[in-house]
Amino acid sequence: MKTTWKDIAPVPTHQEFLDIVLSRTQRQLPTQIRAGFKISRIRGFYTRKVKYTQETFGEKFQHILDGFPRLQDIHPFHKDLMNTLYDADHFRIALGQVSTAKHLIETVSRDYVRLIKYAQSLFQCKQLKRAALGRMATITRRLKDPLVYLEQVRQHLGRLPSIDPNTRTLLICGYPNVGKSSFLRNITRADVDVQPYAFTTKSLFVGHFDYKYLRFQAIDTPGILDHPLEEMNTIEMQSITAVAHLRSAILYFMDLSEQCGYSVGDQIKLFHSIKPLFANKIVFIVVNKIDVRRPEDLEPEYQEQLQEILKAEDVEMLQVSCTTTEGVTAVKNAACDKLLAERVSQKLKSGSTAATPGSRLGDVLSRIHVAQPMGGLRETFIPEGVKDLKKYDKNDPNRRKLERDIEEENGGAGVYNFDMQRDYTLGNDEWNHDKIPEVWKGKNIYDFVDPDIESKLAALEEEEEKLEADGYYDSDESVEDVEDADNRLKADLIREKRVLMRNEAKMRKSLKNRAPIPRSAKSKKLSEMTRGLDSAGYDNAAAGSRARAANQPRGRTTIREPTADGDAMDVDENPKKALVRALSRGRNTPVTDRRLDGITSFGNRDKAERMAKLGQKKMNRMARAGEADRHTTASLEKHLYSGKRGMGKTDRR
Amino acid sequence: MAVRAQFENSNEVGVFSCLTNAYAIVAVGGSENFYSVFESELQDVIPICHATIAGTRIIGRLIVGNRKGLLVPTTTTDQELQHLRNTLPSEVKIQRIEERLSALGNVICCNDHVAIVHPDLERETEEIIADVLGVEVFRQTVADNVLTGSYMALSNQGGIVHPKTSIRDQDELSSLLQVPLVAGSVNRGSPVVGAGMVVNDWLAITGLDTTATELSVVESVFRLGEMAPGGAGGAGVNKDSIVESFY
Repeated sequence: MKTTWKDIAPVPTHQEFLDIVLSRTQRQLPTQIRAGFKISRIRGFYTRKVKYTQETFGEKFQHILDGFPRLQDIHPFHKDLMNTLYDADHFRIALGQVSTAKHLIETVSRDYVRLIKYAQSLFQCKQLKRAALGRMATITRRLKDPLVYLEQVRQHLGRLPSIDPNTRTLLICGYPNVGKSSFLRNITRADVDVQPYAFTTKSLFVGHFDYKYLRFQAIDTPGILDHPLEEMNTIEMQSITAVAHLRSAILYFMDLSEQCGYSVGDQIKLFHSIKPLFANKIVFIVVNKIDVRRPEDLEPEYQEQLQEILKAEDVEMLQVSCTTTEGVTAVKNAACDKLLAERVSQKLKSGSTAATPGSRLGDVLSRIHVAQPMGGLRETFIPEGVKDLKKYDKNDPNRRKLERDIEEENGGAGVYNFDMQRDYTLGNDEWNHDKIPEVWKGKNIYDFVDPDIESKLAALEEEEEKLEADGYYDSDESVEDVEDADNRLKADLIREKRVLMRNEAKMRKSLKNRAPIPRSAKSKKLSEMTRGLDSAGYDNAAAGSRARAANQPRGRTTIREPTADGDAMDVDENPKKALVRALSRGRNTPVTDRRLDGITSFGNRDKAERMAKLGQKKMNRMARAGEADRHTTASLEKHLYSGKRGMGKTDRR
Repeated sequence: MAVRAQFENSNEVGVFSCLTNAYAIVAVGGSENFYSVFESELQDVIPICHATIAGTRIIGRLIVGNRKGLLVPTTTTDQELQHLRNTLPSEVKIQRIEERLSALGNVICCNDHVAIVHPDLERETEEIIADVLGVEVFRQTVADNVLTGSYMALSNQGGIVHPKTSIRDQDELSSLLQVPLVAGSVNRGSPVVGAGMVVNDWLAITGLDTTATELSVVESVFRLGEMAPGGAGGAGVNKDSIVESFY
């Protein structure tokens, strides 16, 4: 849970606020716009300005709203403390105003964005934007007071001590000037101001100390005067808040010497009037300044009243003198012990149902539980030697020599092999290193060892060496026969051929910056085909002639066949044939292709086509209809043929 | 006295050694460092034996013993058994037992008076345990774990059980064993206390990772060093503070 609010971001004043937001809008968005731009672009430009400003405002306001604690979400102690210090209503209203401003700015932005959608010109857009930003600024300007207030609250809140309402707490309260702060100084390291006048302490102060390995907090409160709650001022109300809400041990300080300026009777009266706040809390009456006056020296009337309190309220009385520090530790320990016992018993009570294994409390308890047996303890068997055992010391020159030292002397780990049989207790140390028969499955292995095995092995090795020397093991691999050689040769040829083919295919496939063309679309020369067929061992004559035939243009040949004798006149030799030819043709079908007229060969045709295109080039460029087109258009001044026409001005040009 | 040690970078010293009031058995390692820890702590009070069981080094999990005897699993070779016999004092009875659960150190946890064993142990084994080790035998589990030897470290003066053992189980075990028990851990929170440490009536050796807190629990429950009956320590840990700060 949050106990401090030191990290709230500073709240700017309204003027700073405007500067921040507007300069951010100016810096973050484009600034160049021209009347000549498309209107949709101009509208977009200004819409963006308005929206961005609104977003920045919203973001900043939200940041303020999020930074401050929500009173309903925090611990009642902090809530009441803030209520006392800053007035909860005021605080809520200030935050509410900020929130309202945020909503208003959103509304303004929405409205003006809608208006900008219908703006007709740059000027209109700009005016609308100005209006929108102006209204936002006005809304912000109205936040002047809340922002100043929130900044003050923030600064004060950051300086509040961090009080954890749930931890172990000693709360010191009482009349002003009875020695509360000096007690806090004594038990903690908190540097509290101690002065000999009332209301030196004007707010809550916290000190921390350790007791039984636990961290306790001690809270010093401002003095309380005995008057009704409504009449208490802010300083006293802080004490009341702390007393009312903190789960703590309360040390009610009393000054019997009356040096503080309040009579003992008044102090007892105050105890009775704030007693309702002590319900369910551990309360101690701490009599301070016992170096001046002890409770025993008190008037019998007061003594009686004091005893009454102690009896009736289950309150303990402790005595202390902060100047001589007499009894300070006793008071601290008594209070802490009782508080701790109370807290632990409450925890155990609340967790008694949950103290099953697996629950958190159960886990903790089972870990710190020492199960003690009912009966007596077991007998132990500690040898006598243990008692006067000297502790092994690494630096002692006469220290015992350990196995590790022996290992180091003999070459270290991995080299040294310890003596397994050294420590045998066989009755005679000389026997320790005797050879032990190796027994396996109840049989002595030595019984099954051939006594001559060494010599037999030696003989065998000798024979082997001899054989080796004689070349018995030399290999006599025959040379490969003719057939094998032939096969190898062929295989080599095949391999080489395959490599060549592969290389060729690679070369073919490498595109070298050309577009990939599918094989089917590629033209292939007839000669290549015949060569391929040839090398594959096929007859290419039929395929070649078929391909040649397919390449011939169909229909009538365009080249006049030479007559039998070249000089003879061209005569219709068969009139019937001519007739048939005349009938078989449609009227409008040209007899010949004009493109081919008068051309002797295909090569010439190509040439002619190229030249025709070349001749057409200039005509095309000058947008002429043909060679004969000599038209000249009217030459006009630029202003006569460009620009927009206004209403009814066509005839003026 | 409680000391920390490590067997070849492993903290599970209970796996590689076995410590009783009459002897200690240490696995054969790459160097003599681990052996020398025992040597320097025990000096010549009780014999220390280098050993392997079935050729392995995990002897602490395979064998179990106390002042009176030692039980080894059926996998132990004749040579190893012979070596143990030659090294250990003649008062210590050594017995090889035929038991399906051959990791005896895992399934049996004993001191010189009582043994807590795995519930599935054979009846013959139970009898052998009672005869050889001279103890009463109880079939029990520790925090619902059947491996009593792994999850419990026991001496004649105290015992540590698995950290998750409930209070009721602790009380029950304690009344069986007649020694004080606590739930604790060794080696920075390891629950296998039996494998993480070895202990007898005056010495405990734990893994090197054991924290100071764990070590102080070990010393106080086994009454070692300053925590011994005549020692200077023994200032009670404040239960209230622990409940207050941990719950």
